[in-house]
Amino acid sequence: MALTLLRRIGVFVATLLAASIVTFVLLSILPGNAARVALGIDATEEQVAAQEIAMGLDRPALERYADWFGHLLVGDFGTSAVSQQEIGPQIGDALGITAVLVVSSMLLAVLFAIPMGILTAIRQRKPDGVILSGISQIGVSIPGFLAGMLLVTLFAVTLRWLPAGGWSDPGDGIWDFVSHLILPAVALGSVQGAVLSRYVRAAVLEVMRDDFLRTARAKGLTPAQALLKHGLRNAAVPVLTVLGVQIAALLVGTVVIERVFAIPGLGSLLLDTVALRDLPSVQGIVMVLVGLVLVINLLIDIAHTVIDPRLRSAT
Amino acid sequence: MRSHRRISSVAVATAAVIALALTGCTGGGNTDGDAAAPTDLSVGLIASPASLDFTTTAGGAIPQALLYNVYEGLVKINNTGDIEPLLASDYTVSEDGLVYNFTLHEGVTFSNGSPFTAETVKFSLERVADNWTANGPGYLSPISAITVVSDTEVQITLSTPSNSWLFNMAGPVGTMFSPDGVDALATEPVGTGPYTVTAFSPGTSLDLQLRDDYWGDAPYMTEVELRYFADANAQSNALLSGDIDVVTQLSQYQLVSQFESNDDYKVQEGSSTGEVTLTMNNQSAAFADVRVRQAVMFAVDRQAIVDTVNSGYGTVLGQMAAPTDPWYDPTLVNLYPFDPERAEALLAEAGVSDLTVALKVPNLPYAVAAAQVVQSQLADVGITVETSTLEFPAVWLDEVFTKHDYDMSIISHNEPRDITLFAAPTYYAGYNNPDVMSLFAQADAADPETSIDLMKEATTVMAEEAAADWLYLIPVVSVADADLTGVPLNAPTLSLDLSTIAR
Repeated sequence: MALTLLRRIGVFVATLLAASIVTFVLLSILPGNAARVALGIDATEEQVAAQEIAMGLDRPALERYADWFGHLLVGDFGTSAVSQQEIGPQIGDALGITAVLVVSSMLLAVLFAIPMGILTAIRQRKPDGVILSGISQIGVSIPGFLAGMLLVTLFAVTLRWLPAGGWSDPGDGIWDFVSHLILPAVALGSVQGAVLSRYVRAAVLEVMRDDFLRTARAKGLTPAQALLKHGLRNAAVPVLTVLGVQIAALLVGTVVIERVFAIPGLGSLLLDTVALRDLPSVQGIVMVLVGLVLVINLLIDIAHTVIDPRLRSAT
Repeated sequence: MRSHRRISSVAVATAAVIALALTGCTGGGNTDGDAAAPTDLSVGLIASPASLDFTTTAGGAIPQALLYNVYEGLVKINNTGDIEPLLASDYTVSEDGLVYNFTLHEGVTFSNGSPFTAETVKFSLERVADNWTANGPGYLSPISAITVVSDTEVQITLSTPSNSWLFNMAGPVGTMFSPDGVDALATEPVGTGPYTVTAFSPGTSLDLQLRDDYWGDAPYMTEVELRYFADANAQSNALLSGDIDVVTQLSQYQLVSQFESNDDYKVQEGSSTGEVTLTMNNQSAAFADVRVRQAVMFAVDRQAIVDTVNSGYGTVLGQMAAPTDPWYDPTLVNLYPFDPERAEALLAEAGVSDLTVALKVPNLPYAVAAAQVVQSQLADVGITVETSTLEFPAVWLDEVFTKHDYDMSIISHNEPRDITLFAAPTYYAGYNNPDVMSLFAQADAADPETSIDLMKEATTVMAEEAAADWLYLIPVVSVADADLTGVPLNAPTLSLDLSTIAR
C-alpha cells in the first residue's frame, strides 16, 4: 500500500513537471509579442524593446523557465505581466468560483442521472422508459451554451426572475449568491446529467444481465430488490469513471458557460490572459488545471478501490 | 405584440419593486422630490482594462474608465469635441502661439489628500518623457519649458506652435499625477477626479466611488460599477433583465431593434472617432500602384457594408476624419461612388489581371463580417481575395501592424484625430507622401483657421491617392433605462465621462 502511494505521488510529480515544460514551450512559441500588446499601436520599436527587457522577455528561455518553475514549487505564482497584480490570489478567486459552479452542476447532474438512468434501464421496453430515454437523448445533443442562452432568455430576460449573468460572493448575501448560480449550474448540469444518465442506464442494463443477478432473482428477490442489493454497486464502477472524466472536462468546459453568463471564473481568466499574452498568468492557470485534473483522477481511483474490493488486491 | 406589452408591464412592476428596495437600502443621495432616486449606476461595456496604468499599458479601455472620472488634466474635450478648461480655471495663449499661461483652480486635492498646485503640473508633464511608454508620450514633445509662476499659475512654452498639443493635453498624456501617488499606478490610481477606484477585477468589473472632497461640481451618481462583457449578447441580456442600467456603446447593431420597440429603454445614436478602415499596404506589390488602390475604392460599396454588417448604423466616410473634426469634408464621401466598371477600367489601365491579395483581419465581429462583403465585391471586378482571420490583439499586431506582412486588413482606428499617425511612412499602411506630412506640420503651427484649411487639403490628398479605404464611422448607439438622463451622446475622446448621467 505504501509503495502504491509512493508510486502515485511519483507519477503525479512527473506529470506536473512534464506539463510545465509543455506549457512553457507551447506558450513561448505562440505568435504575438506581449510587450507590443501591452504598449499598443503608437509605441515605437525601441519602446517595445525596452518593454521586453522590463518584462524579462529578453532573458534566455531556460533561465525564465527555471525561475518560474522554481517559484511555482514553493507556491509562488508571481506577478501578472500586464495587470501587475499577484497571480496566486487572482487564480484562487477565479478557481473558487469555477469550483462552486462545477461542484453544484455535477451534483445536479448526479441527482438527475442516477434515478433517470436506473428508471430507463428497468423500464427499458415500456413506453415511459422509451420516452424518458428519448428526453435524455435530446439533453445529450444540446450544447451547454445553448441551454444557457435559452435559460437566460426565459428566466432572466422575459420573466426577470433571475439575473442574466455575473457572480455574487456568498458573503454578500445568500440569495444573491444562489440566484446568480442557478442558471449557469442548471445549464451545465442538465447537459452533463443527460450524458451521465445514458451511462448509468447502460451500466445498469449490463449488470442486470449478469449471472449473479440471475442467482439473486432465483433466490426469490424481485428485480428491483436484486438490483438494489447486488446490482447498483457493480454498476457504479463504470459510472464513476465517466464521472471523473466529466468533472475534469467541466473544469475546462466552463469557459463557454462563463462567457455566456459573464462569470469571472477560471475559464474567463484563462481567455483574458491568453488574449493579453500575459504568459506568467496563463502558465499558472494551466498548471492549476493540470494539477486539479490529476487530483480528480487520483480521487476517482481511490473511490474505485473503496467501491470495488476486487481492485485492492489487483494493485 | 400584445403579449409583449404584458411582459413589459410585468417588467416595469418588477423594476419598480427593485427600485423601491434599492431606495430603502441606500437611502441618502439626491433628495429633491418625494422619493430619492437611486444614485448607483451599473454600466455595461465590452473591453476590460488590462491594468489601471495608462502610462505603460495601451488600449482604450483604461482611459475609457479613468480619464475625467478618476484622472483630470488642465483641459478636457467636451461631448461636442471642443476643448474647455478643467483643472485650469482659465488659460491664455500668446500671439505667436508659443506661450500658454494656465491659471489653476484653488483648493484642488488628489484622492490621497495631497494638494494640486503648479508644482504638480510641472511634475506630471516632466514625468511623461521618462516614465510613459504607452498612449503617446511623444505628444508632449513640443514643450520646451515649464515655469511655476505661483502656486496657481503655470507657464508652458513650446518650441514651435502646435494646435494638436493642446488637444492632446486633454487626453491621457495631460493627466495630473501626485508625486506621492505614482508608486502603484497599475493597481491604485490617484487622481484629482470625482471618483476613486474601490475595486478592480480584470475582465469583470471596475467599481468607482464618488469622493466627498471633490473640488468641482460633483456628478450625480455616487457609486458606479463598470461591468465588462466579452459577449455582446450577454451584455444586452443583462440590460434586458435589469442587471445593468445602461450600455453606452452597443457593439452589435442587430440587437438595437429589441430596445427601440420597448418603452422601458431609451436609444440614442451619436458620433465616435472610430474610422473602420480597409487598409491597403501601400508598400506591397499589389497596391503600390495608386490606380489599383483607386480601383478598390470604386469596387467597394461602402453603404452595402454598413447595411449588411451594421444593420444600417454608421456613416460612410471616404476620409480619415470624423464629422466632429473641424476639417471633415462632406464632399469627399462621394469621391469614389460604387462603380465596378471604372474599377475594372483602372485595373486594365494599370495592366493588372488575375490579382490575388491577402486580406488579414482581426478576429473581431465587425472586421470578419466586413471582410466577407469586401471579398465578394472585389471578386466581381476580378480581384481574388484570400481572407484569413488573426487573433486580436496579439497576432494581428505582430503580423500586420509590426511586420507589415499583409496586403489588406480591416480594423477600426479609434483614437481621435489620428490622421497624422496614419500618414506616417513608418505606419503599417506604408503610405508615403512627404507633401502630406509637410501639410500636417504647417497645419499644426498655423493659426486655427489656416490650420483647418491645411488639414482639409492633406485629408483630400490622402483620399485622392486612396491611401486607404475609410469605410465608415462607428456609431455610438447607447441604450439606457428610460429614467436615466445625460447619457453621453457622442464619444469624441476615449473617455466615458460619467459626470452628466443622472436619474
